[in-house]
Amino acid sequence: MSDVIDPTAAPAAAAAEVPPELVARSLSQYLRAWWLRVRGGDSGVLPVVLAIVVVAVSFQVANSTFLSAQNLVNLFEQSTIYMLLAMAEIFALLLGEIDLSVGLVMAISSVVVAELVQPSGADWPWWAAIIVALLACAAVGAIQGTLVARLKMPSFIVTLGGLLILEGVGIIVLNGSLVSIGNSRFTNEAFLYNIFYGHFSPVVGWILLAVLVGAVGAGLWLRDASKSRHGLETPPRSLTAMKIGVIALAGIAIVAIANVNRAHSGTIEGVPFIIPIVLVVLAAWTLLLQRTRFGRYVYAIGGNPEAARRAGVSLPAVRIWGFVLASLTSGIAGVLFLSWQVEVTTNIIKTANSYVLLAVAAAVIGGTSLFGGRGKTIHGVLGGLVIGGIYNGLYLLGVQSQWIDVVVAGVLLAAAAVDVLSRRGAPRQA
Amino acid sequence: MTADSGEASTGTANAGSAVDLTSAPAAAAADVPAALVAQSMRQYLRAWWQQVRSGNSGVLPVILAMVLVAVVFEIVTPEHAFLRPSNLVYVFGLSTVYMVLAMAETLVLLLGEIDLSVGAVALIGGVIAFKLVQQPGPGWPWWAAIIAAVAICGLFGALQGTLIALLKIPSFVVSLGGFLLFSGILIVVLGGADGNVSVSSSAPNQRVIYDLVQGLIVPAASWVALAVVVVAAGVAIWLRAAARRRQGLVAPPVSLTVIRIALVALVGAAVVTICTVNRGTFLVKVEGVPWVVPIVLVVLGGWTVLLQRTRFGRYVYAIGGNPEAARRAGVRLATIRIWCFALCSASAALGGILLGSFFFGEYSTNTADPGQLVLYTVAAAVIGGVSLFGGRGKAIHGVLGGLLIGGIAYGVSLLNLGTLATPLEYIVPGGVLLGAVLVDVLSRRGTGSVTRV
Repeated sequence: MSDVIDPTAAPAAAAAEVPPELVARSLSQYLRAWWLRVRGGDSGVLPVVLAIVVVAVSFQVANSTFLSAQNLVNLFEQSTIYMLLAMAEIFALLLGEIDLSVGLVMAISSVVVAELVQPSGADWPWWAAIIVALLACAAVGAIQGTLVARLKMPSFIVTLGGLLILEGVGIIVLNGSLVSIGNSRFTNEAFLYNIFYGHFSPVVGWILLAVLVGAVGAGLWLRDASKSRHGLETPPRSLTAMKIGVIALAGIAIVAIANVNRAHSGTIEGVPFIIPIVLVVLAAWTLLLQRTRFGRYVYAIGGNPEAARRAGVSLPAVRIWGFVLASLTSGIAGVLFLSWQVEVTTNIIKTANSYVLLAVAAAVIGGTSLFGGRGKTIHGVLGGLVIGGIYNGLYLLGVQSQWIDVVVAGVLLAAAAVDVLSRRGAPRQA
Repeated sequence: MTADSGEASTGTANAGSAVDLTSAPAAAAADVPAALVAQSMRQYLRAWWQQVRSGNSGVLPVILAMVLVAVVFEIVTPEHAFLRPSNLVYVFGLSTVYMVLAMAETLVLLLGEIDLSVGAVALIGGVIAFKLVQQPGPGWPWWAAIIAAVAICGLFGALQGTLIALLKIPSFVVSLGGFLLFSGILIVVLGGADGNVSVSSSAPNQRVIYDLVQGLIVPAASWVALAVVVVAAGVAIWLRAAARRRQGLVAPPVSLTVIRIALVALVGAAVVTICTVNRGTFLVKVEGVPWVVPIVLVVLGGWTVLLQRTRFGRYVYAIGGNPEAARRAGVRLATIRIWCFALCSASAALGGILLGSFFFGEYSTNTADPGQLVLYTVAAAVIGGVSLFGGRGKAIHGVLGGLLIGGIAYGVSLLNLGTLATPLEYIVPGGVLLGAVLVDVLSRRGTGSVTRV
């Protein structure tokens, strides 16, 4: 009540207990609380957004085609693989574990789908092939998760051994042949091919965007309204409006870019199918992690396993499910990967394990901590975009693949260093 | 005062013969290894058996596994060829690479860390040494090339160790990044994805590197060398035990010392016998111990002395056992960690040079896959008895594990598997690695050393 008391003392004390932006009542208070949090080391998506800007500006300066509509769509498409793998890896990272097998699980999913739809072989419908592939991947995750959670083997060893075994299994299943889904005479193959290369017509793109923005806006607005009806703290109206505005703007930019004709000759325009696919996965995993009891348990275990155990969380069950979800998401990436590559060969399987580094790098660059308990699914999407941008930009500049690997390794180490340094001084020390 | 009374009560328990006799050794085992206080052969054996029962089984599992692998492959290989001297010597040659790499990895595993870049670093080391002796080219003398390769790789290790020790980034992330980084640099050093470099056996300077694995010590010299090694080892073991007895310290029983010396002599005699059988043709004789055998023994001796007899070694075990306790005891964690990573990468370079020599002095990107190499390495160390959780293991475990992995890898390649041969190159090390870690985890249960929730 008295004006003599330092007004900053109260927010600081509150910051230690609840995130200050939860109790902020006005936009300026919210911004100040957010800045406090960034200063305190929990910078969220800020570094990765800055990284995206840096990547975009520097490659645009080096090569003026980088930000062309044609290349941006191309970059988006490539990045979706990294995004999905990073979203998979985040399940393991949030638990304080790591899954080194995501790249190989992806390859196994590709092999299974491709083999099952072969007209000369099993000739299954595309959806059945995808379901079986995803189930197989989930089973792999369950086995690895069981070894980690029940037998308490270190996760990096289990998944390292697992990726080797999967590499062998993939080569056996492929049996030295080249399996392709590129024959458009077969409906199943054409469908799978179109997952990556298909796109909506421009008009449909705009309609979908309108529906999406309307739905998200209504969702956010209704949640705030119901919160304030129940007398709970709500973010300021202006902030909610800004959030919806940012989503609408980003969406408009993406649709506008994707609707530019990007063909050398003829017409290719419209939003690729994979963008909504990634958005659906993003939404599902965000809901799972942020709004369900399972999600809270994942963060609890990542933050402090012993505390979670004493609070009655079943560690093995949550850990096993974490690995199942990681492998399942890698399996979804595998369906996209097959569609992108069109064919699977022994060589593709042998090089698949390098994707795990990109997945970990994307997740960590996106803002997910290597030490568990901190991160969100959206970090995987943003980090995947950075990795995709670096790959695409260096490729445009004609850099050899081994040097691209060197750059990505450097980026991974830098992101890990930032993660570690930002944890210093935070109350929970690794 | 309470501590005093506690000790006193233990003393009376020992004195009173009515008290259960097994309780005293159990209490002692918790403090000092029972084998250290054993005074007779029988006591020693009993203490050893207790240690095995309590999960600290040392080299026993790996020796049993070797016997099993030898018997199984002898039965299943076509014409029962596995145990032929020529094959055994080939397995030795192949295994030495894994042995040196596993000893390197052991230094890091003892700290409770891991180095996943060891394969890529090893290959870079090999390529550097091979490039430096090229003629025309730098044309360095062979010893300078080897030293340069070892030093450069040691620097790589120190760099990674610094990130791990000072920035506290988890070692598997740093070395995973290092793996990618060094694999990229490897291709650059090799001169492109299809580049290769080789040493010729006709140029005297290059021939030394070619001969590291391919070169043979003539049979007579082999026997002389064995005699020297056995006598030296025997005298050293004997003098150490005698010195301990003279000083009134606890020493192993004399019979045990004799058995140890006899074992060294027997194993040595077996190795030399196998190697001195003519494994060439009737006209072109190929016989003698490969140079690489004494080289590995020197590395083994060096790391064993470093780890078991120096302050540095004690600090390594202390950090691996309990880093916080070591820190409070005044051990500089960062310095020891950086040194271990540097030594690991430096000896990995030696392994890489041996690998090139094993492949008849030729290095290409097809020679070895750095990813597969690191898996074999970690598997060799863990299967040899080094714990993944730090603080438990010896250099000899790397040697035994390396021999086992080499035997398995070569045995599988002897089988006529057709299209299954390639996938098994991945499945076998993966399965072996998981099996070895499983044994490690299970044997640690109940010892109270697994702190994970």
